[in-house]
Amino acid sequence: MNTQLFALAIFDGVAYAALVFLVAVGLTLIFGVLQILNVAHGSFYAIGAYATASLGGMVFAAGFSPYLAFPLMLIVAVLVGIALGGLIEQFLLKRIYVKEGALQLLVTFAVFMILEDVQRLVWGVQPYFESSALQALGNIKVLGITYTVYQLIVLPCIALAVLICLRLFLRRTLSGKLILAVTEDREAATSIGIDADRVYLLTFIVGAALAAFGGALASATTSVVPGMGADMIVLSFAVVATAGLGQIEGAALTALLIGLGRSFAVYLMPELQVLVPYLIMLLVLLVRPQGLFGIAQARKI
Amino acid sequence: MLEFRDVTVFLGGVRILRNVNFHVNQADTVAMIGPNGAGKTTALRSVMGFTRMTGEILFDGRELSTIAPARRPGLGIGYAHEDRRLFSAFTVEENIVMPGQVAKFSAAELAHKLGRVYEILPELREMARRPAGSVSGGQGKMVALGRALMIGSRLIMLDEPFQGLAPALARRYSEALRALRDQDREVTLIITESNPKLLRKFADRALVLERGEVREGSLSDGKDAA
Ligand SMILES: Nc1ncnc2c1ncn2[C@@H]1O[C@H](COP(=O)(O)OP(=O)(O)OP(=O)(O)O)[C@@H](O)[C@H]1O
Ligand SMILES: [Mg+2]
Repeated sequence: MNTQLFALAIFDGVAYAALVFLVAVGLTLIFGVLQILNVAHGSFYAIGAYATASLGGMVFAAGFSPYLAFPLMLIVAVLVGIALGGLIEQFLLKRIYVKEGALQLLVTFAVFMILEDVQRLVWGVQPYFESSALQALGNIKVLGITYTVYQLIVLPCIALAVLICLRLFLRRTLSGKLILAVTEDREAATSIGIDADRVYLLTFIVGAALAAFGGALASATTSVVPGMGADMIVLSFAVVATAGLGQIEGAALTALLIGLGRSFAVYLMPELQVLVPYLIMLLVLLVRPQGLFGIAQARKI
Repeated sequence: MLEFRDVTVFLGGVRILRNVNFHVNQADTVAMIGPNGAGKTTALRSVMGFTRMTGEILFDGRELSTIAPARRPGLGIGYAHEDRRLFSAFTVEENIVMPGQVAKFSAAELAHKLGRVYEILPELREMARRPAGSVSGGQGKMVALGRALMIGSRLIMLDEPFQGLAPALARRYSEALRALRDQDREVTLIITESNPKLLRKFADRALVLERGEVREGSLSDGKDAA
């Protein structure tokens, strides 16, 4: 493997990891607080991608600047988080928090299946491709390799910014503190006046919006097709489980690890490309069942 | 100001409290005594809304079942759990001010209440910046008291505050309670304890919980708790 191929694998891996992280961090946040493994998370990702690609297509066809793609992505993420995430939490999940984990998993899986059909109804099965945002930013040459600025610089910077903002949000804002308090001890939180139901809703909206944001950003780099939500949810489960459930910074490092593992496999052992993330997960969980960064006892995020 | 009317609580199919009736007047300091497992914690948790109960609990004339558990502290009820239950993700001071922030106190009010807590419990000021997860069990009890003082302007309920405290710390704790009483003659205090002797010095009244029932007791001798 020569230097250029090596660098290429690293660039691919980092760009991919940035997207996976955005989805995985929402998933791990929701699990950390609500104790629910949300399969419908993959749908938020896919719907974020579809909405951005289709709306973006209309906006750019009308002659508007391709840079509008970025605010559009943010708007889509917030809308999907509030409208879809908020509704699902209020009308479905809220009723099943006290139920056992297997049932919760089935319910979120059912939501995922329903949302898959909804996507087919709204957007059909033909692929959408809308890469104005990617093209608008042009290319950059690093180590003799020409790569898109969008994937090599913008995506990783956004992922890093999300990581830092999320940590600051949790640590420094009152809403964030309430989330941490409810996560650690729901009853103690209630006994100082914290409305845990509202905290759950807020957390679910933030998590869903992060997944939709990941999808919105991904839509500029790939064609949006049916099934992308399923692929992403499986992969982000792998990241979340490998990192340790509820681990935010851990999810970032693990997304990087798995992203790089996958991109090196593409160049070195293409036949294992799909398998590598799960091999990594299997290896880690065999040695550390609580995940790379998981702590065996205390509930914390 | 606090009244239990025919309160019955089942936990896991077992009846823990049966038709409990009692009344606590404002500004009283009530010792709730009873052997281990008598249901003291259950009674306090029922006030906070953490049990499924029948009967009524009235607070300042209002039926508490109509008020969601998360809104009850906002009525001026401070509650310190038996086992501290601090938030280890935050510092000691953050733990203390949090109930006030949740209740949307103004900055001035927060500062005023915090100043009061530090006046009553000066040792908390020294550990203000320490992570709450790093303080000792006894210090944690002090922090939990501080946190209850933050919001408990009408009623403060302390669940076995002396349990596990070394004698010196227990003395400090009762001094703090006396300082609180000196400062605020209007607040109502309910303190549970399995050893009534510890509360003899400052409780006005004893309620004895035994086998799920409550009766009036006396603090002068320890027999009521037997
Ligand atoms: N979740 C629960 N399910 C079933 N039984 C419970 C539950 N919680 C408490 N109990 C039982 O209820 C009874 C009363 O408990 P409670 O904690 O109120 O007693 P207590 O007077 O506070 O005792 P202690 O002095 O030990 O703190 C105990 O027998 C306990 O075993
Ligand atoms: Mg108890």
